[in-house]
Amino acid sequence: MASNQHNHSIQDLYEGDQSKLYSGVLAHHDEGGLESPQSKKQVKRIWKVFWVLLIVTVVEVVCGMYGHNAGMPKWLLSTFFLVLTVLKAIYIVRVFMHLGDEVRNFIVTILIPLTLFIWFIIAFLADGSFWLHMNNNVGFHKP
Amino acid sequence: MAQPVVLNENITATQPKIWGGGRSPFNVSYGKMMMWFFLLTDAFTFGAFLISYGTTRFFSAVWPDPNHVFGSFPFLGSGYPLLFVSIMTFILIMSSVTMVLAVHAGHYNDKKGVIKWLLWTIIGGIAFLSCQAWEWTHMHHEGGWWGSFTDPSVPKETYEHFFKTTLPSYANAAPAQVIQSAHSFFNYFFTITGFHGFHVTTGVIFLILVLINTINGTYERRGHYEMVEKVGLYWHFVDLVWVFVFTCFYLL
Repeated sequence: MASNQHNHSIQDLYEGDQSKLYSGVLAHHDEGGLESPQSKKQVKRIWKVFWVLLIVTVVEVVCGMYGHNAGMPKWLLSTFFLVLTVLKAIYIVRVFMHLGDEVRNFIVTILIPLTLFIWFIIAFLADGSFWLHMNNNVGFHKP
Repeated sequence: MAQPVVLNENITATQPKIWGGGRSPFNVSYGKMMMWFFLLTDAFTFGAFLISYGTTRFFSAVWPDPNHVFGSFPFLGSGYPLLFVSIMTFILIMSSVTMVLAVHAGHYNDKKGVIKWLLWTIIGGIAFLSCQAWEWTHMHHEGGWWGSFTDPSVPKETYEHFFKTTLPSYANAAPAQVIQSAHSFFNYFFTITGFHGFHVTTGVIFLILVLINTINGTYERRGHYEMVEKVGLYWHFVDLVWVFVFTCFYLL
């Protein structure tokens, strides 16, 4: 038979798979597997986050439906929504995406570029409101 | 630089260099780190979309009211503000939970658990997409689409129902301004929810591929279920984006 015929198993094909080195970082091999207290604790935490996300969303929807009519100032309502949104995002990234379980250096590497959003949001929204101001006071649309 | 430690005249031991190569300083595999970096770039894409939406909104004298635009429910008609999107949000949160449970089962090499939770996640993803299909169809019937509302001479009745007409900003706005804001609103709505829906669609496809690999025993033979974790990261990111889309379009 031809010498170039290989009979690798899947495992051999992945021999160079570097993920093997690190697959044990978040994996667990406790006694009892999924039934171990460690595992049960983690599942409990997942469901806890689920309830937090659900309750926060219900609160948001109720405020979205009745907040304007109840006479809450627009800026207060918006701030409230934004704070709750960021809170939900933190829970998702930290627990569901397991970023909280990673090495500290890695967490920082992921989070630092996101601070650009602070400038990004301020600059663009300020620009938008400046244009509205110009349109209302000096633009062609002025009645 | 590694510092050679002199133990005695003849033996020197070298402490491993953290950044010297050969191992990950972050203690993560290449694939997982690249998934994170991809998601980081994707966050900026979505961020740019949403900030552009915000800029246009700040630029506009008047803006459609979410409680009026999104007030319909299948088979029930209108008058149910935010109810349908709440159900969509619930479906997506739920699918995120089943996804993280699949990842958890993978950490314990529990093949049956991974299959079960992946299946639920796929069902959740398809349910979300079906809801979105209904909402798009409904919006289209209401007159909203890419490039709609460009004719300033159309009668008020064609766009009035998207706005809270009791607001002073609505009363003070010229018809051209009102129409332009409806035009912008729907352009952004379909672009951003469409881009998100595209992510959900690809996510479902990835999940199906991973499910097939799991059933075939590929990961079992490989000895770990990291692929479930990587696709899980993508899936949670899609949920994360929806949290922001939900706030920007439906709440603010």
